Amino acid sequence: MRNVILSIFVIFFPTLFSACIEQKDAPLPILGPRQPTETDTAYHTIPPFSFVNQDSTVVTHKTFDGKIYVADFFFTSCRTICPKMKTQMVRVYDAIKDDPDVLLLSHTIDPKHDTVALLHDYAERLGVSSDKWHFVTGKKEDIYRIAQESYFATAMEDATEPDGFIHSGAFLLIDKEKRIRGKYDGTQPADVDRLIADIERLKKEYE
Amino acid sequence: MSSNQDLTFAEKNRLRQQRTRFAFLLPLLVILGYSPLTQCTGGGAGGDGGPTYTQYYNKGEDLYLTHCSNCHQVDGTGLAQLYPPLHRSDYMAAHFEEVICLIRYGKSGEIVVNGIMYNQPMKGIPTLTDLEIAEIATYIYNTWGNKKGLIDVRQVSDILKRCESEGS
Repeated sequence: MRNVILSIFVIFFPTLFSACIEQKDAPLPILGPRQPTETDTAYHTIPPFSFVNQDSTVVTHKTFDGKIYVADFFFTSCRTICPKMKTQMVRVYDAIKDDPDVLLLSHTIDPKHDTVALLHDYAERLGVSSDKWHFVTGKKEDIYRIAQESYFATAMEDATEPDGFIHSGAFLLIDKEKRIRGKYDGTQPADVDRLIADIERLKKEYE
Repeated sequence: MSSNQDLTFAEKNRLRQQRTRFAFLLPLLVILGYSPLTQCTGGGAGGDGGPTYTQYYNKGEDLYLTHCSNCHQVDGTGLAQLYPPLHRSDYMAAHFEEVICLIRYGKSGEIVVNGIMYNQPMKGIPTLTDLEIAEIATYIYNTWGNKKGLIDVRQVSDILKRCESEGS
């Protein structure tokens, strides 16, 4: 019996460790559909967009040129998963706030209620800087389309939900080429730990 | 003469080995065994500890985790200046009846807690029964250093009736 337990330890422990080490060294996967071209592979990228942030500043895909960013979808009056997501995104913010290469982008999926003024108040109360963490609003169709078709995050109105919307709590990690490099459950602290570590891994690819 | 003394040295040694074989599991068992215990006491539950109180408190904790902790956090500390804390809240101490009522009916507008102004509307939870509100109140008023004891459902029903008639 003892020998069996011992051999399990001996065999599996190094395997586990080596798996971890290999994972940390390997580049992050590139998510989303891809198409082979004649010379290369075309990866899924986030298309051009234009929204307005909490300072009434226009925020577009160009704002994120040469930046790594983390995107999510929420609304301020949500009581279900958004507060959990925001609690976790504050952790990401604290990890990257002094890093000029990384930004955060939170889209409201309730633009009717979440005005620029309300988003401004929300960000200010979270105590975060608007040049680091953009809270954006825009045309509802544009937000829902980019959520579903570009970030593959669920976002829709649903009267049966307690707050009137259904959406995923996903955080998406986007690289400098606007490709999705990771998807994380923004309500789970352990998954957000992984995101914070992956941001560092991704930065190394550009060193 | 005990049987142990009849054993040869080799046999004793074998017995000792058997005992020590799983000794490495002991600290693990101790950790696993004690962690739920420390979690229970770590919450800082006050109150009188009677069976009704314990029942209220435990159900209140479940309800708190379902309905309240997303914003106010599991440890009651709230979130920045968005969601006020329940953990050490002068507002809770001074506005007991209002706290009971806002669980069902919600609250909007400015509210000052521990000197900080909050202004995030809280929607009420009309589906909660009087008993469930009493359980949540018992939980939040007896955790994180609060020690108000059992908050009985009859007391809560009276308060809820009053604020219902005031609201209409």
